[in-house]
Amino acid sequence: MTTDPVLVVEDLKMHYVTRAGTVRAVDGVSFAVARGQSLGLVGESGCGKSSIAMTLLKLLPDNARLVSGSIILNGVDLTTLSEDQMRAHRWDRISMVFQAAMNSLDPVYRVGDQIIEALEAHSASAGRDAMERVRELFDLVSLDPTYIRRYPHEYSGGMRQRAIIAMALACEPDIIIADEPTTALDVIVQDHILREMQAIQRSLNMSMIYISHDMAVIAEVCDVVGVMYAGKLVEFGPTTEVYARPIHPYTKALMSAFPSVRGEKHDLTTLPGEPPDLLDLPAGCAFHPRCAYATDECRTSIPPTVQRGDHWATCWNPVDDLGGE
Amino acid sequence: MAKYLLKRLAQILVTLFVFLTLVFFIVNAQPGDVSNFYALNPDVPPETRERLQDLFGVNEPLWKQYLVHIKNTFTGNFGISFSHYPRSVADVIMERLPRTVVLFMTATALSFYLGFALGKILAWRRGGWFEYTSTVGGVTLYTVFTPWFGLMMIWLFAFKAGWLPIGKFLDPVLWRDASIDANSVFNQMILTAFVVSVVVFAVFVITGQRRMGNARIIRIASIALASLAVAGVWISSGTVVFAWDILRHMVLPVVTLTLISFAGTMLLTRNSMLETMREDFVMAARAKGLPERAVRDKHVARNALLPVVTSFIFSLAFAVDGGVITESIFSWPGMGQTLVSATLTEDLPLAVGAFVFVGIFVLVAHLVADVLYAYLDPRIRY
Amino acid sequence: MSAVNAQHAVPTALWRARLRLALQSLRENWQLFVRTRIGIIGLAIIGLYALLALAHPILMNTVWEPRTYDPVVGYAFDETQQPAPPSLKHLLGTDPLGRDILSQLMFSARSEFLLGLLAATVTVVIGTAVGAIAAYFGGWVDTLLMRLADIMIMMPAISVLIVLSALIGVEHFELALIIGILSGFGATGVVLKSQALSVVVKPYIDAARSAGGGHFHIILVHIVPNLLPLSFLYMMFTVTSAIFSEAVLSFLGLLDVRMSWGLMIHTTESAGYLLQVTEFWWLIFPASLSITLLCSAFYLVGRSLDEVVNPRLRSR
Repeated sequence: MTTDPVLVVEDLKMHYVTRAGTVRAVDGVSFAVARGQSLGLVGESGCGKSSIAMTLLKLLPDNARLVSGSIILNGVDLTTLSEDQMRAHRWDRISMVFQAAMNSLDPVYRVGDQIIEALEAHSASAGRDAMERVRELFDLVSLDPTYIRRYPHEYSGGMRQRAIIAMALACEPDIIIADEPTTALDVIVQDHILREMQAIQRSLNMSMIYISHDMAVIAEVCDVVGVMYAGKLVEFGPTTEVYARPIHPYTKALMSAFPSVRGEKHDLTTLPGEPPDLLDLPAGCAFHPRCAYATDECRTSIPPTVQRGDHWATCWNPVDDLGGE
Repeated sequence: MAKYLLKRLAQILVTLFVFLTLVFFIVNAQPGDVSNFYALNPDVPPETRERLQDLFGVNEPLWKQYLVHIKNTFTGNFGISFSHYPRSVADVIMERLPRTVVLFMTATALSFYLGFALGKILAWRRGGWFEYTSTVGGVTLYTVFTPWFGLMMIWLFAFKAGWLPIGKFLDPVLWRDASIDANSVFNQMILTAFVVSVVVFAVFVITGQRRMGNARIIRIASIALASLAVAGVWISSGTVVFAWDILRHMVLPVVTLTLISFAGTMLLTRNSMLETMREDFVMAARAKGLPERAVRDKHVARNALLPVVTSFIFSLAFAVDGGVITESIFSWPGMGQTLVSATLTEDLPLAVGAFVFVGIFVLVAHLVADVLYAYLDPRIRY
Repeated sequence: MSAVNAQHAVPTALWRARLRLALQSLRENWQLFVRTRIGIIGLAIIGLYALLALAHPILMNTVWEPRTYDPVVGYAFDETQQPAPPSLKHLLGTDPLGRDILSQLMFSARSEFLLGLLAATVTVVIGTAVGAIAAYFGGWVDTLLMRLADIMIMMPAISVLIVLSALIGVEHFELALIIGILSGFGATGVVLKSQALSVVVKPYIDAARSAGGGHFHIILVHIVPNLLPLSFLYMMFTVTSAIFSEAVLSFLGLLDVRMSWGLMIHTTESAGYLLQVTEFWWLIFPASLSITLLCSAFYLVGRSLDEVVNPRLRSR
């Protein structure tokens, strides 16, 4: 599993400088993704998941600062690249399936042309070859090839998502980031597309990062999962491990807030309180105000890392020790 | 698209009828009837007056007068002009309409292009002296008192520097012994411009569709070739001095009209660009690793163009007003100048006729802009 | 009796709460407005001209002798030749008919404000009514009003005014009325309707309707207040177009007015001084600049309000 890491992220910190103060959107995140592996990042909205995606592509707004850390993709540290060098890497080596697939296609161009545009930008192929490649991609994501010459508004929601996936695959990148890839779709289409993405990923031996607020989606498609809270990874490990024996109370709470895909029945509980204000984080463990197990230590000191094999979490009071379930 | 355009066409026709009805009521709202216009004018002999009374059906009931009015509009019967007696209103208008169309179209195309190009840059480079000067300059030009601005242009470039003529359509001294009539020279000029733009447009469309690598060279060559051909034909025809004279007279009004109207487009483009830049597909275009220039021109600007064209359609009436003012300052004998001078000389048939045509002009411009919009937005095209 | 009191008490409390909310949002919006800067520049120019307009009657009653300084019938007997260049007695000189330019300028400022105010009021009253009614009733009322709006939008206002001046004679009042009608039934009405549409779908409208509120009551109490910020914005643009149109028409000599900035330039033109820009600058610049400045001032305030009212444009 851990052989040949495609992407290694080390102590990544990205902050937004706003009038109200510094927002620590990504605050010291480290992880690695191996070839052919799929990593899931899960957390509530505003926990910094999407900011990680934008940081990995270095597509940041003007007020964002890459404070520290490294993003090593195939041995190249992206943080040290100039904008021009980075441009060559984008899509060619690291591409993305966007959150709002509905609006990620430019409404005034034919879908096929938008894929060709990406191919030509990286001189992957041009002219007739590019058209051939688009046909291949449409086939791969099971889209009708006659739609190559159609406009986005003629596509249904699911078709657009497929087109976006086809576009992300265009240059055969090493890694694809899928930011809430199916949130806007209805459940049946969602399921279809997830399965297909998984199948494509396996057949091409590609790496993926899924970003979602939905534990069920992550459970279905990811080998490894990272749970994020307030810009930090609070738990990380193989999906089966994390789901079977969550260490962090937040992970446990998140899991009980979603229905299980495996069909085990349990009562859904909602997580109390609001996600923290990134401008003004609580001291100690950022989760303590909402945590049922919080002690004085949690309120004052940064929690230690609890290691269980290749599964770890940062917590003072790991729930698997408490014998809760 | 055909359905959309038919719908727009039907709407425009309805609008035209309502507009003509409004004109009819305005004309009839003034004391006395239409024949009084003529009765008060010593230039019009009584027999002509009677014939005109027949023409307008003044002795008929009001609803019949209305029908006559509509019929007259469509058959081009607006009566006889006093100030140009004995020429008919339709005759005067037909002579002047092309001049307005040319002036307006040239200035509008230029100002739209200029405004869009500058607005694009403005949105991309927020802050800094460039944004500051362009915004201040743009707002100043947008709200400047147009007659004063036109006057300053005349004073600076015509009166002081002497580079260009002070207003009017042509230089009477030059044309005194001309064997050719100004209107036919002007019509030939319009024809030339039309043929050249069709050829160049065709070249652009063909090179654009075929995805040719050397498209740019072909385009430049075609423009150069077309200009050479035009120069050749005109110089050999011998009327080139006259055409040149008209062109020289056109420069200042066109530049003035362009300058007063480009700022609106520029500021609109800026706002529209700023809004479009937040769209997801722009982020996607960046993520695809496209160069900034391609992101800006192909994606942001192309989409930002749509609302700009929409607002432009809404401001057409305003632009036409600008044309009317510009024409009367530069004594450019088009529809606007005709409207103003007919009003000043109380040549009511001509004033009303010119007004009707200004209205129809706005309607047609509206329709053209609609077609353009439908072409630009695939969501309407398909 | 007590039932009647209770009925009255509720709306009063409601209005007080609304007022408090309105004041609070006004304060916030004012800060946003200040931040745009251009709005402040606009307000400063408007303030300056308002001062000029207010000072005129005072000056006429105190230091300025009417026989010399009257903007319409005065004559500067103290000058040997007309137009006279600026001097201490006539700060901006005199016009070809021997009238004091500064006095004309200040006198006209007042009528420009009145004209703008009238046109803006007509626009907003009509526009708000059209917008609210079209959005609230929908159906054929909406269709009819919007088709009418299409026509109004396609009317070139200045050309309409020119032809009307030939037919019926146009003064300030008619001009303000026509500008107001064209804008109110046209662009302003359309914009306010789209704003009203977003209000009409809110649940409290349904609640008011099921509570038996009359159409008129609902429109007036629930919809119109929500349209006011936007209509205020369009008032600014109407003022600009009213002042501009007035200036153009009186410059062309088509308006029956005693004095206005446009007429001042018209006087210069008919006396033949129009192209002697450097020699007789005071005949051309004060009036032209005043028109330009006041028009852009209202436009700037409008733009700035646009950024306040319209969250899409707020700078990030």
